[in-house]
Amino acid sequence: MTGQPRRVDRRTFLKVSAAGAGAVIASRLPSPGSAVAQAPAGVKADPAVKRGGTLRYSVHSAAAHFDVHQSGTVANIGPQSPMYDTLIRRDPKDGQTIISDLAERWTIAPDGKKYTFYLRKGVKFHDGADFTAEDVKATYERIARPPKGVVIPRTPLFATVGDIVVVNPHQIEFRMTEPRPAPYMLGAFASGWNIIVRKKSLEEHGGNLRQVLNYPGTGPYKHVERRDKEVWIMERNKDYWNKGLPYLDRVEVYHMPPFSPELGSSFLAGKLDYARLLDPVSWRKAKEMKNVTAAAFNQSVIQAFWCNQKKNKALNDPRVRRAIHLAMDRNALVEVVKDTAPMQIGGFVYPFHEMSTPKAELEKKLGYQKDIKPAVQEARRLMAEAGYKDGLKGLDFVVRDIQTFKLWAVAIQAMLKEHINVESNLRVVQTSVWFDEAAAGNFDLAISAIVSSLMDPSDIFSAWYGKGGPQNYGSWVNEPFHALAAQIEKELDQGKRKAMVRQAEDMLEKDPPLIPVAYEQIYDAYYNKVKGQNPSSYFGIYDVVRWDQVYLQG
Amino acid sequence: MKKYLLRRALFALGTLIGVSMIIFVVLRVLPGDPLVAILGVEGHARMMPADKARIMADLGLSDPLAIQYLRWLRDIVTGDLGKSFFRGDTVRDLILHRGPISAEIALLALVVSWIVGLPAGIASAVKPNGWLDAVARVVSIVFIAVPGFWLGLLIVLALLFWFGYKAPIIIVHVWENPWQNFQQVIGPAVVLGLAQGAYISRMSRSCLLEVIREDYVRTARAKGADEKVIVLRHALPNALLPVITISGVLLGFVLGGSVAVEQAFGVPGLGRALVIAIIERDIIVVQNLVLLYAAIFVVVNVLVDLSYAWLDPRIRY
Repeated sequence: MTGQPRRVDRRTFLKVSAAGAGAVIASRLPSPGSAVAQAPAGVKADPAVKRGGTLRYSVHSAAAHFDVHQSGTVANIGPQSPMYDTLIRRDPKDGQTIISDLAERWTIAPDGKKYTFYLRKGVKFHDGADFTAEDVKATYERIARPPKGVVIPRTPLFATVGDIVVVNPHQIEFRMTEPRPAPYMLGAFASGWNIIVRKKSLEEHGGNLRQVLNYPGTGPYKHVERRDKEVWIMERNKDYWNKGLPYLDRVEVYHMPPFSPELGSSFLAGKLDYARLLDPVSWRKAKEMKNVTAAAFNQSVIQAFWCNQKKNKALNDPRVRRAIHLAMDRNALVEVVKDTAPMQIGGFVYPFHEMSTPKAELEKKLGYQKDIKPAVQEARRLMAEAGYKDGLKGLDFVVRDIQTFKLWAVAIQAMLKEHINVESNLRVVQTSVWFDEAAAGNFDLAISAIVSSLMDPSDIFSAWYGKGGPQNYGSWVNEPFHALAAQIEKELDQGKRKAMVRQAEDMLEKDPPLIPVAYEQIYDAYYNKVKGQNPSSYFGIYDVVRWDQVYLQG
Repeated sequence: MKKYLLRRALFALGTLIGVSMIIFVVLRVLPGDPLVAILGVEGHARMMPADKARIMADLGLSDPLAIQYLRWLRDIVTGDLGKSFFRGDTVRDLILHRGPISAEIALLALVVSWIVGLPAGIASAVKPNGWLDAVARVVSIVFIAVPGFWLGLLIVLALLFWFGYKAPIIIVHVWENPWQNFQQVIGPAVVLGLAQGAYISRMSRSCLLEVIREDYVRTARAKGADEKVIVLRHALPNALLPVITISGVLLGFVLGGSVAVEQAFGVPGLGRALVIAIIERDIIVVQNLVLLYAAIFVVVNVLVDLSYAWLDPRIRY
């Protein structure tokens, strides 16, 4: 034992990555007649790593309730995830590769209609109870088919899960009503939201854990104390099934508003070891510090505005919506908010997703170019063709009362007026009012942000653009697109799927269901003594959230 | 005296009932759905209207307003101030945990305002239109004009960038660690105290100038009394009554101002809890905290009125 962490040089990393990628690709190629078995190793303890210490971490304000399944905000998953495990998970080293967790291995039937998970033995909940397949079944029955009054945003991911069958206490099968691409389903199972909870906890509280502070998990840390809107303190689970983990004795999760001066100043003053969701100014300051690492990564959020097609006849015309889409100077919009929140340009699918139009190609398209003249010309032509040469007047533009949206709304209002003579009146409303107005259709234009659980296009095609989708605020309908989206959801061949996604992107460009403004990035900063994580390659802040592999050194 | 006390208590009660009605109605008339905060944006979007209605009923928000109001009054009388909609934390625990910090800030601000404001006012009044008076007047106008939260932010940033310092980020009670507690409350107390001190300086100056011109002060001077004794022993006590009155009113401003200043300093007091509750539309927390602030304001003003008789023997109730 050297007392030093095991170092991985570039060559070793590339070899391991190549081997891992090969394994993943190979595992996705079904051999005729046999189930595809997958057993990638989970997170392993490194005996050389320094143990002990307290990590002081801040992520978001306090959550509105304690039910992780029902939540859609990092305010829950941030502080609570260290106390729970999932069936499978994303590797904290890269935030992408799916590895084992409570399921040590799994198989996928060749027809994609059965997922079998083989669970670890000897795992205990924090209250001492044994973990069994019954707990997995209770958890996933709840997620896939929530009881009355319970809303779980990830439910649509498991829409094709039929029976969940406990084969024995350590084996469980998910039988699908129809197949879904393996990356999609495994991504859904690996989502950090889908923590495994005790069957008994759900039964005791009528299936609703909103006000249950400390329902037992199997995770690396145990609840110690929570001070409302201040801090959540956890200690190492000495009986954790993954022997040797976690490394830290204690984790203190502080509740501070994202992008706030309070968060930035606390980190810069050394009151926190790790800050997530830093504002750009503090992040840039942190980047200048010698003993600090500042990281940026992509977040699963689109910033957009919707055109109400039910209320406003003009906005129901795809040419008008495309004209509005083309009238946006996206480079300017990213610049407008650069000191408030980090953003990047993108279209209708996550710009960093392997299936979306690559950035270099996107930048050549109308609406995304630095020189906006050609796009504006085309926008004016479309408006004239649609019969709105003189523009539109008096559009009700509902703006969510958040700094970025307020800044953008003013810029968008000016762009619409200048480029296509569309006049709008801004109406700034509180977040809760925005969602009331959006749901009731009381707007012509409305700007906000929406999240997705997975990066996979099928998730956003149903939630954001789906007919009657929960976030299809503009009431957009395009039958050919919906038919194509249904095919994409079922297509198991990744190559074909990618081609279809590109085809779908083209359809969305011509008939926009919303007007994409930008895609968010997350700014993290941590003192260099915090080792064992690499947030730069993470997708979003919802999957790698457990701190079991993190240690303090130096 | 007893009659006076009874009358004031009845007036205070009437005021509080009036305030409670206003708070109650305003919170229910304002647009916005607490379910968005409870369920999250995605959860709210995906929930069926029937389920939303059921949760609203569970929270007691579907009952007629009169019933909801009477239930709240009953809770106040029994000392059970209800629970937050969200995490189930009781409002009583919230007040007991955060109240001491806010109370410390308010009292310390009052002390700061007197320590700064009174000497400045006296110095101005003793030599009116002199250089000291000019400086005191300019400085007091500056502190009246500058918003407390802005000054607070400047102080936080200055301490951070010049000294790498920030006060503790979670509540440290005085009985847990007095030094850390002091670091936590002194910033907001100074900011609030300076603003109120400016008012006290202006008020004490004008009152003292008025009293100094009284016959009995002239008589004292004629008898050859020392100027310090004349000002501090004869004039000042009589000039203090309006200053005490304004201190009571200012305490209300301190309570109101503490909402923004606590936010600027990141002090997790009651003011900050109120801001978060408003953002979350946690109606139960908001209505109880606003009523608490109103009650403190009313009680302080009653105490100020009662203190007159003690300070000025000529006043009898």
